[in-house]
Amino acid sequence: MAKVTYSGVRESKPGRLNDLGSTGKEVSENYKKGCLKRADRSFAQGLQCQQINSMAALMSLEDSVFISHSPQGCVGCAIMAVDMYRVGQIHRGVRLVKNPRLIVTNIDQKSVVFGGEAKLREAVRKAVDRYNPKLAFVFTSCASGIIGDDIDAICESLQAEYPDTLLVPIHCEGFKSKICASGFDAAFISINKYILKHQKIAKEEGLINLFAPTTVSYADQKEMERMLSLLGAKVNYIPFYSSLEKIRKIPAAQASTSICKVFADEFMKTLEEDYDIPYSHTVMPIGIRNTDKWYRGIAKVIGKEKEVEEIIAREHERIEPLVKKIRDRLQGKRVFICGGTGRSFAAAALIDDFGMELVGLETPTYDDDAQIDIEYLNGIHKDFVIDIANMQPFEQVNLVNRLKPDAFIGVPEWAAKLGVPTTHVLDGKRPTMGYDGLLFLGNKIADQLENPGFNKKLAAHSKLPYKDSWYEENPFKYITEGGN
Amino acid sequence: MSNVMENPKGGCVLAGINSVLGAIDRVCPIYHSGPGCCMQTTASDQGQSGHKSSCFVSAVSIPSSNMLEKEVVFGGTSKLRSTIQGAIDIIDADAYFVLTGCTAGIIGDDIVSVTSEFSEKGIPVYPIETPGFAGDSNLGYETVWNTFIDQVIETGVPKDDKLVNIFGIIPYHDPFWSGALEEIDRILSALGLKVNTFFTKGQGIDTIRKCSGAALNIVISPWLFTGPAKKFEKKFGVPYIRIPGMFVGATDTTRFVRSVASALNLDDALVESVIAREERYVYNYLEQAIGVLSWKRFAVVSDANNAIGFTRYLANDYSFTPVLVIISEPVFRPEDKERIIKEIEDLEYARPPKVLFLTDQYEINKAIREEEQEITLLIGSSNDREIALEKDIQFILGSFPMSERLIFNRTYTGYRGSLTFTEDIYDNN
Repeated sequence: MAKVTYSGVRESKPGRLNDLGSTGKEVSENYKKGCLKRADRSFAQGLQCQQINSMAALMSLEDSVFISHSPQGCVGCAIMAVDMYRVGQIHRGVRLVKNPRLIVTNIDQKSVVFGGEAKLREAVRKAVDRYNPKLAFVFTSCASGIIGDDIDAICESLQAEYPDTLLVPIHCEGFKSKICASGFDAAFISINKYILKHQKIAKEEGLINLFAPTTVSYADQKEMERMLSLLGAKVNYIPFYSSLEKIRKIPAAQASTSICKVFADEFMKTLEEDYDIPYSHTVMPIGIRNTDKWYRGIAKVIGKEKEVEEIIAREHERIEPLVKKIRDRLQGKRVFICGGTGRSFAAAALIDDFGMELVGLETPTYDDDAQIDIEYLNGIHKDFVIDIANMQPFEQVNLVNRLKPDAFIGVPEWAAKLGVPTTHVLDGKRPTMGYDGLLFLGNKIADQLENPGFNKKLAAHSKLPYKDSWYEENPFKYITEGGN
Repeated sequence: MSNVMENPKGGCVLAGINSVLGAIDRVCPIYHSGPGCCMQTTASDQGQSGHKSSCFVSAVSIPSSNMLEKEVVFGGTSKLRSTIQGAIDIIDADAYFVLTGCTAGIIGDDIVSVTSEFSEKGIPVYPIETPGFAGDSNLGYETVWNTFIDQVIETGVPKDDKLVNIFGIIPYHDPFWSGALEEIDRILSALGLKVNTFFTKGQGIDTIRKCSGAALNIVISPWLFTGPAKKFEKKFGVPYIRIPGMFVGATDTTRFVRSVASALNLDDALVESVIAREERYVYNYLEQAIGVLSWKRFAVVSDANNAIGFTRYLANDYSFTPVLVIISEPVFRPEDKERIIKEIEDLEYARPPKVLFLTDQYEINKAIREEEQEITLLIGSSNDREIALEKDIQFILGSFPMSERLIFNRTYTGYRGSLTFTEDIYDNN
């Protein structure tokens, strides 16, 4: 049977769905029975498109130019990656902080009618003339996709013209997927096709590919590298703050792992198939339980099971007394969590380290991977509501208002206006991960939840945009079966 | 017309429309677009303008049809219909505006028919049929006002000879917009006028509906809003004056006050007393710190409005030396460029600086890098910090896009804003 090539669209995997309201118990039973049906929302709020993720994943690469074949508006969200790149340089001690080289082709009315090829050619020419970069990535958009510009063919013909710059087209049209993590896959598919090209190279003993998305702080990078070096590994930290050389080194690695559950998870499977690199895909290393699990996962792949247990025992001895102090402050608090796939489940495991109780969980997708996490959470928490949603603040505020949690973990904007104490496990500028990160994060959470004055006073002065009647309605009212 | 551009400043038409709607109290945009447009457009302007974003709905709280492959192929009007219905059911807004993303624009979904199903029932839902690829944030600002003039603003509103409307400052695109509007409001109120800023004081859609009763439209920009201002005058009989650039400091703010006073025939004695009081306020501070700021040879990279304000204040009122001014937003019409150049070159004592129109970051950096005259102060955006670091020039983050400052009501506009501007430039090195 011919091998089916993965398109990069996450919805193409059977059993994966994006729109569902349920409880932990119910969803896990229905999933087991195969009763979950793909659905849609007849009313929804905005999402994050996959193009944002494709761009963010790569925008810190050295010696690269990033070309967005799109109208000007499609690089709006690039500011998040731009900011991370600038701040990341400061954290890494760079004094002359640089901007990433981002060029937008600025598709306009004329391009919509006549095609955008001329603009794309001009953008690539400018990229090469100005920077003579080693890499130039070309990102598609809804507009370039619908007008039908063949960026692969255009890039191929330009590649002959500019042999010193490797051109990498990436298919990340927003309309292709509701799951923004598809954009990560689109980027990695192109990295494999245009940079690695299925060529095997000599292995480097002890080298581990550590895949990191743009939201990982430098403090977290150092902690991950510290932990892996304790196992005797050398780390190839990619693609965040890396380079063409480091990407080319990927096939030389002895093993791969990732910091985020939905980052490079598909790519690591491909690396195993194409370059015989085994991998560990577990959880995000936030909290004791998850850090242990993540650490054991990669240790097993490189045959360091015994060593990792010794290190874990030492680390536990060091941090458990400190974690206990945090636990004493947080024990028994009822929590609502909203986040991306990696962080939402990581936060759910983290609160168990601190003896907190999960009452509600909002996470973007449900699939085999989520099922494993939910079964684990069902073993700890009596009952909790689950909302399979990428944000959808209208559902969130309905649920938070209904469940009245003691704490909210996630983007604070809306829960804060309900007066609920808020905190977050996502911080791309400060520590959150590993054993060291846990203490910073735990103290932050305890301090923030202990002192909710800002949110209490804000709620007294501020109102969310929803009608009072909405809070009386079923939060999942707009989820309809049989949608996209 | 749009050019290939490195590190563009601002977003598409939708971004500009969203910025304006987001700044009006209790108004809800509804996107008929691809899944990322709400975030992208909010991030283009609000996300890079001092970290303040619309608190009614913005980014992922904006209703959106999130068009996917199915809608691209079969059309998305039924998805739009249920999205509008949902928005009306749950969001407590006074008006809803349906925006078209590139996707809906290219496949040609008829949003006017869908919105009319609701407006016919008396629900205030308005279509704005300008897809993202039609232009930039600036065009979005004009587009939304054209929509208001065509569909929202009422005719037959009784005239109020003390009421004025302020145009030209784009909320969330100009990082200092709310502070600027508050200062303008303060000054004009002192002249006995009632001021529609539209975006402060909790003004909402009702203010917009009734703004045809104004005695004067004041356009504060050297180039924006010519089309809408003329259209407004034709439809509602409200004349307009153009203030050809943001006013920073006593000289230009007084020029602004006199322009408004002359257009409205305000009482001379009142006008002169306000000017005297305000100028005294400014100089009371300036005289307490004479010689405290070291002398600078400066360059500015900014939108035209603020570039004029910064340059004229520093050159005319503060006796710094202007070297280079780069207008970093796309301005196409020759007459607009001439008006901008005139404002920057027509200085009282200082020699005029070089004026360039560059939107591309590589070209901006190159112009500053290759400038032969020494520059010791650069006022620019977050994108322009790199070249300031490279040339070791004092850098003031004073223009859009602005990521490393939080801006609530700070402004460099007017009498009081000029003092804040001067405070920010102080450097003890």
